[in-house]
Amino acid sequence: MIQVEGLTKYYGPVPAIMDVSFRVEKGEIVAFLGPNGAGKTTTMRILTGFMPATLGTARIAGIDVYEDSIEARRHIGYMPETTTLYTDMRVHQYLRYCGKLQGMRKPELADRLDLVMDQCGLSERRDAIIGTLSLGFRQRVGLAQALIHNPDVLILDEPTVGLDPNQIMEVRQLIKNLAGQHTVMLSTHILPEAQMTCERVIIINHGKIVAEDTPENLTAQIREVETIVVEVATDDGSVPRLLQDIPEVSSVRRLPDESRNAYLVDTRLGTDIRSQIAEFVVGKGWGLLELRPVEMSLEDVFRQLTTEEKGVA
Amino acid sequence: MRNIFTIAQRELVSYFTSPMAYVITVFFLFFTGLIFTFSIYQPGAQAEMRGLLGSMVFLTLMVAPFATMSLLAQERATGTLELLLTKPVRDVEVVLGKYFGALAFYISMLVLTLPYPLILSKYGDLDWGATWVGYLGLLLAAAAFLAIGVFASSLTRSQMASAGICLGVFLFIWLIGWVSYLVGGEGSTLADIAKNISVFEVFGDFEKGILDSKNVVYFVSLCIVSLFLAVRVLEMRRQV
Repeated sequence: MIQVEGLTKYYGPVPAIMDVSFRVEKGEIVAFLGPNGAGKTTTMRILTGFMPATLGTARIAGIDVYEDSIEARRHIGYMPETTTLYTDMRVHQYLRYCGKLQGMRKPELADRLDLVMDQCGLSERRDAIIGTLSLGFRQRVGLAQALIHNPDVLILDEPTVGLDPNQIMEVRQLIKNLAGQHTVMLSTHILPEAQMTCERVIIINHGKIVAEDTPENLTAQIREVETIVVEVATDDGSVPRLLQDIPEVSSVRRLPDESRNAYLVDTRLGTDIRSQIAEFVVGKGWGLLELRPVEMSLEDVFRQLTTEEKGVA
Repeated sequence: MRNIFTIAQRELVSYFTSPMAYVITVFFLFFTGLIFTFSIYQPGAQAEMRGLLGSMVFLTLMVAPFATMSLLAQERATGTLELLLTKPVRDVEVVLGKYFGALAFYISMLVLTLPYPLILSKYGDLDWGATWVGYLGLLLAAAAFLAIGVFASSLTRSQMASAGICLGVFLFIWLIGWVSYLVGGEGSTLADIAKNISVFEVFGDFEKGILDSKNVVYFVSLCIVSLFLAVRVLEMRRQV
């Protein structure tokens, strides 16, 4: 549904994105993940026909976004990063305006309007002036205007930025509910968001795609060791040295928290020596307080990929 | 075509939901009313619209920068332009929609001045032919001013800067006529050029009831050039 090949964009001599290529299949929800300034918005602006790429091609539903921009835009619902709307219009007026610009006819528009307002939880705010709405509701109007013409592809640039935690959950749920009906591409720099809402993650950094996979595979691929947290009650200083002597243990690090005697114990990938450690600690009489495996989060993956620029794709 | 209408309609409605439209209308009608009243109470006053139309073109020149300054500059400043330009709408449709919205607002204001000639024709012998030519001239001048305003608004995200650019251009094309007096009046090429591009001089013909195609062409070309430039400015972001 979205095909991007070798997309490159220069702002003057500065490249914003370099040779970006990816595909999004029909019905997928894909997160475009990257730190601020990685090139997410630039890529999305090219996809939506707001500006052209320096090199490369992008197709939406098989239509080139540069060669046949107007036609491609009919297939896209776009919500820009800062959802700025006409604050002097009423919700239903604004949505009707957007529908008309999408070439919708009156009867079709009236049906769709009710449906979309219902879907986005706006039915009760139908007559509200947009300027008086809270940020969360404005975000919903932003989503509703992107949905009004029932587009094949939804492009959402940072859909939850600036919202409070409750509103964030609502908007995420809304997006999740769209799965299947629309192909969704959303950008975010918040990892749990990508993990929670999306089936696939494309990580971009410094204008280049550094990884692309499901959140689960990404965390699995990057992991080199199994890590276990071990906390003991009494520590005479010999704990790290003796733990290190267990054959399977590759390294032992103390957690920075001085008030606790907690250590991070790394072992070879695919081994589970928790029972062995438990026996060992109890045998020494140190008093075992905690023993748990550390799950590597997408956050760690992200940090590793974007700070060390280590490619796994 | 449909998109132009949709955008123009939104602009027109948005004029009347903002205080600006009312400020402009009150300003325009207050001063035209004042000038009309003074002119008819003058001893020996003629039943004609000449003087009033001349004042109206000047008042139009004063209000046009404020009527157009928000059109594109505000959309650029708030970011709504991005949303508008990613809809399946051509840049030229956006510019024309905005322009016709402003023009419709101006016409609605101009209609409110029609009681003046009606009063004149009731109590005097008004030359309707000359009056309509005068109104046509006023409309053409306004169309040109608003087009220049749309262009100024496309250049910047600051509404004040837009109004400033606009006023500067207006005063220039208004006052350029003086050059013809400075360089020795009739005859010299420079004086002729200055006279033919001065709004003051060109409108003078309409005001007298003279319908000259060269004057019509003057205003219409001002419109086309300004709107074309505004479209080009919007398209500049698409440069590779």
